Amino acid sequence: MFSKISLGRYYPAHSFLHDTDPRIKTILYAVYLVAIFIIKEPVSIAVLAGIILLQLILAKITPGILWSTVKPMLPLALFIFLINVFTIKQGDVLFSWKMITVTGYGIGRAAIMAVRLVFLIISTSVLLTLTTTPLKMSDALEKLFAPLSLIRIPVHEMAMMMSIALRFIPTLAAETDKIMKAQQSRGADYDTGTFINKVKGYITVLIPLFVSSFRRADELAVAMDARCYRGGKGRTKLNPLKLTVRDVLTGMMFTLLAVLVVAIDFSLR
Amino acid sequence: MPEDPNSIVVKDVSFSYDISEEDSGKAPRPALDGISVTVEKGSYTAILGSNGSGKSTLAKIIDILEVPDSGRVVIFGRDGGDDDMFWDIRSHCCCVFQNPDNQIVGTIVEEDVAFGPENLGIPNPELRERVDQALKDVGLYEYRHKETAALSGGQKQKLAIAGALAMRPDILILDEATAMLDPSSRDDFLSLVEEMRILKGLTLITITHDMTEALRCDKLIIVNRGKAVMEGRPEEIFMSEDLWKYGLKRPVKFNFAFEIAKLTDSRLTEDDLRSDESLISALTGMLSKPGIKEPVVPEEQDKKEDGKNVIMSVKGLSHTYDGSDVKAIDDINLDIMKGEVLGIVGESGCGKTTLISHMNAIFRPSEGDVIIHTADGDLSCRNKKDTMKIRQNVGLVFQYPEYQLFEETVFKDVCYGLKKMKIPKPQMHKMAYDAALKVGLTMTEINASPFELSGGQKRRAAMAGVLAMNPGILVLDEPASGLDPRGRQEMFAIIKGLRDSGTTIVLVSHNMDEAAVNCDRICLIDEGKIKAVGTPEELFREERAEELGIQRPRITRFSGLLKKELKKIYPQIEFGGMEFNPEKEARAVVSAVCKAGEADVQ
Repeated sequence: MFSKISLGRYYPAHSFLHDTDPRIKTILYAVYLVAIFIIKEPVSIAVLAGIILLQLILAKITPGILWSTVKPMLPLALFIFLINVFTIKQGDVLFSWKMITVTGYGIGRAAIMAVRLVFLIISTSVLLTLTTTPLKMSDALEKLFAPLSLIRIPVHEMAMMMSIALRFIPTLAAETDKIMKAQQSRGADYDTGTFINKVKGYITVLIPLFVSSFRRADELAVAMDARCYRGGKGRTKLNPLKLTVRDVLTGMMFTLLAVLVVAIDFSLR
Repeated sequence: MPEDPNSIVVKDVSFSYDISEEDSGKAPRPALDGISVTVEKGSYTAILGSNGSGKSTLAKIIDILEVPDSGRVVIFGRDGGDDDMFWDIRSHCCCVFQNPDNQIVGTIVEEDVAFGPENLGIPNPELRERVDQALKDVGLYEYRHKETAALSGGQKQKLAIAGALAMRPDILILDEATAMLDPSSRDDFLSLVEEMRILKGLTLITITHDMTEALRCDKLIIVNRGKAVMEGRPEEIFMSEDLWKYGLKRPVKFNFAFEIAKLTDSRLTEDDLRSDESLISALTGMLSKPGIKEPVVPEEQDKKEDGKNVIMSVKGLSHTYDGSDVKAIDDINLDIMKGEVLGIVGESGCGKTTLISHMNAIFRPSEGDVIIHTADGDLSCRNKKDTMKIRQNVGLVFQYPEYQLFEETVFKDVCYGLKKMKIPKPQMHKMAYDAALKVGLTMTEINASPFELSGGQKRRAAMAGVLAMNPGILVLDEPASGLDPRGRQEMFAIIKGLRDSGTTIVLVSHNMDEAAVNCDRICLIDEGKIKAVGTPEELFREERAEELGIQRPRITRFSGLLKKELKKIYPQIEFGGMEFNPEKEARAVVSAVCKAGEADVQ
């Protein structure tokens, strides 16, 4: 089950968004993050959905890939939806039973919350993880946050750590799967029993996982050392980031679209 | 000391890993203890030694990845102790390590190859040219935009080589780089590296447990307890009788040859060991001498005629992984007999692991079924209610099980499964101790933390955890991988012991030599399908092996060459069946010669 995690996974393809400069994509991501959280009107949400659809097409992301990215987060979206439905008490009461009150306004708000979460996930994947390799992403972050190194924040190191963390997600997922299978074949059962028992069951998975992560970290450090890694100083890049006119135009266009969505939203309030 | 610009000189080097041992009060044993070795520029050297002998540390010292506590390292005239020099040395020396996953930095193939030269500050377009050239050299150019995670084990190791070549090194060190590969990717990998050595004039140092692999080198260095104990050409080293002391063995064909020499009262010389041809002619010489005594064949007490009852049947089993349209295993039908050792053999990715995962219902069959026949009736892996009983009856030990230990003591870890099966305490303790003793752990080891044990001991502790449940069938996935020759031999002795005490064993292996010696029957899997099932003698007959496209065990190939020569001397010679143990095969050949000789006299 863990081997199918798509969090932070790169989807290799040649597409418009894959070729877009990762810095532009990072900035756009920040813009859309803000936009997603500002808007509340159904019309503007629908427009935003259209823009996101356009991005998906530009990134050549198939419905299957999209579904595998969104699917694991659906329970959380549902949870957020229900919590909001039951706690928002303003508006016309549609249904009431003992402590529980459901209002029309509440359902609307709850739906917006859930949709925001889904949009957030799609934006993160389509603008960043699915279309940008971890090394490129760390390059982009390193460049964007370069000014911070003036105040002695180790920007390069942090970017490197992030990219390695992303690179190891599939490896550790496979490892977790292996450990669980080995313990299951010795009679472990992670699915039944009380909540406490389930948590306890996972501890026996976590210990070997931690031990092996440390071992891997150790080996990787030696391997990086052997390949003469010594921080960001003097490093060159195989594919240096180059900002083209197209990148700038793409950035401006999608920023304008985001502004437009927010403007529509405000005008409808 | 005049510094030789044409060799790697390690002089009186000692080194300890700084482990804070304040609690235990004892100083850690140094990983290297005054070692001195010399490696010529452009040579091909193997460093051999048992697990924990310090051979990997030696490689790290040569690459200046570790700085010696005392002693000197001079690489082609450059002093490793000199702070200005050591980046220079390191950039001209590359390492490829054992675990492919733990040395890949990039998500995309070309990004990973570029990592080294990027660190060296190579500017474009040279950088691009180096990366492309390195990828072309190892044959991964078509994969340059692929994800590294999608490569096979062999391809990942080639990627590591490309990463090294892109740095344009003078020295390439392989630290057990082939240990996790199957035989065909192993040969492929080694020929690639050897070709690169010639092409780029590399000094090649390989650390290995595989003695036949070591034969390909110009020079061997044997390391034991942090010291270099032997150094010389392969034929010099393999003449020595001391190898076993250092946890090593001769390559199988030499074992075979030395046994023939012993049986015919002859001696082999270094010159005989130099090549296959010289060895064959020496052996034919020995065997054509008159007056060879018929060897005494020790009584074989095994071969319990148990193997008539089916204990597990796999019926029409297929499995497809989610998101894939190829069947990982396809219509597998297999009966496993009570008391046998069944080998499951095939290349990486052929579906071996998928198959065994069905054997104790870790994967529930989606098509077909696996039935376990027990004294209390049949258990079906499709039936959810039988799951616990099946897991009690079929123990499954995955590859590298030592990475899955987690308890504070070995004893608690062994008890884990029993606890899950809700076995009452007094009985549980007895079963746990029995299992730990069966795999040869001592009382001190049983009460120690599993993380304090050595690699081989850890593996046995993990096996004990499965054995504790007293399974009638034990499935082992590559139980000997990564162990040194002595560790391997001990592991197979344990397996034989288990078989003799009545456990049925399913042994997954990609090592034909070991499968042939240790299995009663072998099931050959190719691309998810069963290609052949039979005894090793049936499968490894020359014509049959050729038809199946499998590599015969090394001993069979070598002995086959000798038999051809002997046929010329004794036209009427009759060889019995094949033996896969080199000593037994030697005896069989000598007896055949004796019989043919007597016939000649009459």
